[in-house]
Amino acid sequence: MSSGETYRVRMSGISKRYNAIQTLDDVSLTLKPGEVLGLVGDNGAGKSTLSKVLSGAVIPDAGTIEIDGMPVTFNSPADSRAARVEMVYQDLSLCDTIDVAGNLFLGREPRRHIAGISFLDKKRMHEQTRQMLDRLGIVIADTRLKVENLSGGQRQSIAIGRAASFEPSVLIMDEPTAALAVAEVEAVLDLIRTVSARGVSVILITHRLQDLFLVCDRIQVMYEGRNVAERLIGETNIEDVVNLIVGRKFNARSAASRYRDGAAT
Amino acid sequence: MSEATHSAQSRKVREGTWREAMLANGSVVSIALFFLVVCIVFSVATNAFLTSPNLLNILRQSAPLLIVAAAMTFVITTGGIDLSVGSVLALVATLSATLLQFGFPWPAVILGMLALGALLGAVQGYFVAYEGIPAFIVTLAGLSVIRGVALLITGGYSIPVDPGSSFTVIGRAWFVGVPVPALIALAILAIAYLAFNETPFGRYVTGIGANAEAVRRAGVNTQLMTLFVYVISATAAALAGIIIAARLGSGSSNAGQGFELEVIAAVVLGGTSLFGGRGTIIGTVLGALTVAVIGNGLILAHLSPFLTPIVTGTIILIAIWLNFRLFRGAVRSR
Repeated sequence: MSSGETYRVRMSGISKRYNAIQTLDDVSLTLKPGEVLGLVGDNGAGKSTLSKVLSGAVIPDAGTIEIDGMPVTFNSPADSRAARVEMVYQDLSLCDTIDVAGNLFLGREPRRHIAGISFLDKKRMHEQTRQMLDRLGIVIADTRLKVENLSGGQRQSIAIGRAASFEPSVLIMDEPTAALAVAEVEAVLDLIRTVSARGVSVILITHRLQDLFLVCDRIQVMYEGRNVAERLIGETNIEDVVNLIVGRKFNARSAASRYRDGAAT
Repeated sequence: MSEATHSAQSRKVREGTWREAMLANGSVVSIALFFLVVCIVFSVATNAFLTSPNLLNILRQSAPLLIVAAAMTFVITTGGIDLSVGSVLALVATLSATLLQFGFPWPAVILGMLALGALLGAVQGYFVAYEGIPAFIVTLAGLSVIRGVALLITGGYSIPVDPGSSFTVIGRAWFVGVPVPALIALAILAIAYLAFNETPFGRYVTGIGANAEAVRRAGVNTQLMTLFVYVISATAAALAGIIIAARLGSGSSNAGQGFELEVIAAVVLGGTSLFGGRGTIIGTVLGALTVAVIGNGLILAHLSPFLTPIVTGTIILIAIWLNFRLFRGAVRSR
């Protein structure tokens, strides 16, 4: 652990082919404890597929994954959850007609047993929810509010808070700030900082490049299923990242030179 | 600046809470109003309505509806539907009369019929939950097949139950001044209310209706939960069949024709959403009682009983229209 070479996550040689399309081609990814990695690339670059490989939702054709130096194989989301990797899905993890506390504790509600029957311990659930929200700095007036009555940013915060409450060591977020109002983006970015300050490694997938420069330590750029570049945040700027994402196809229009460029980078 | 932002935010939150409270109870409030209006109209229009024998009679007659509607609330809240409850009721009524004729002891008949209901529900629930066939289709098939079996067994005739049998106690006896069917219904409603609102199971039923994928990802066995709600509704229908056979003293294969629609009407009238995710047992009770009171009051008012479906249908449409406007408004303003 003392050595700088110990990574929280180390994925190498990951490949995945869907019929004729090579979605991932020999991709690697490393992540240190407490680090925030921005994963960027155009649509179809393979960022989502790569994150799904790490969250167990997609099984790769080739490649290895190590968590804290231990080789692991993820065949299902349950496997990756057991290895303390959590993924925040954009809007798939919340039940609109259930209240905030109920969503945070979905599937692991505090219970009390009366005559052998387990009942919801709503009082404890709301108290613990309040503590959890305060700890993460999420502003929600009432834990009895149904999620459908929250704003987009509050919903996203609840989804992240829910994932963070599993005490993960790696948290993957897919477009957490898409379609949010400006003030809400700030709140979600604050939440990401809070979570990473607690030692959680974060992978942030986003199209909002300005967000990367606010929270990320490092940026990894993908292009057509391959890694094309990695930059520390202090050593790059938004134009550089944009150029990397579009793959310099404005410089070289032919397919051949595009491939050469990609390989050379 | 930050002061202003903060106060704006808290105002927004207050509005949210108020709207939340209105939405959570709006459907229940509106059906409660309909129920009150109907009761007041019949109290004024007839002398017999607001008397305790008549009110107890309403409870006795509506017990099967109350029991099955409470169970149906679970099914509809998951986003499903169970059209087979009327047929299950008929099959159980005829089979229990038949088995009593063969001399089976009545406690065994009751337990056997409840088990049969559970089994029928499990079979239908399997096709809905594990095979992914729409509940409407599975239970429509169930409606047809199960009613057919009841007709086949009886050849279309009613089968009498010996009036001396203790079995009829379930439908006819009174206990501490209340008809036994009403007491059974009350117990079932209390259990349903607790299960729906206070247990993890009730929480998952609502969650499955709202976002089944989220509940599945939370590690809940959603398929088993879905199967189980059909077990509940068919078992409740079996209990209703037993009560009806005991009350009427016969098992008819034509019992419960259209019962499934009456049950669904009561549930939907109560404010449970047919799209799932939103259910209320209190609303269902009020919905079922409203349907029952309309039927009873029209007869007492010497009006044609055939007006019942017309009035019930009209109230359903108006009540749902009001709810729909309410919910639609809330969604739009989010």
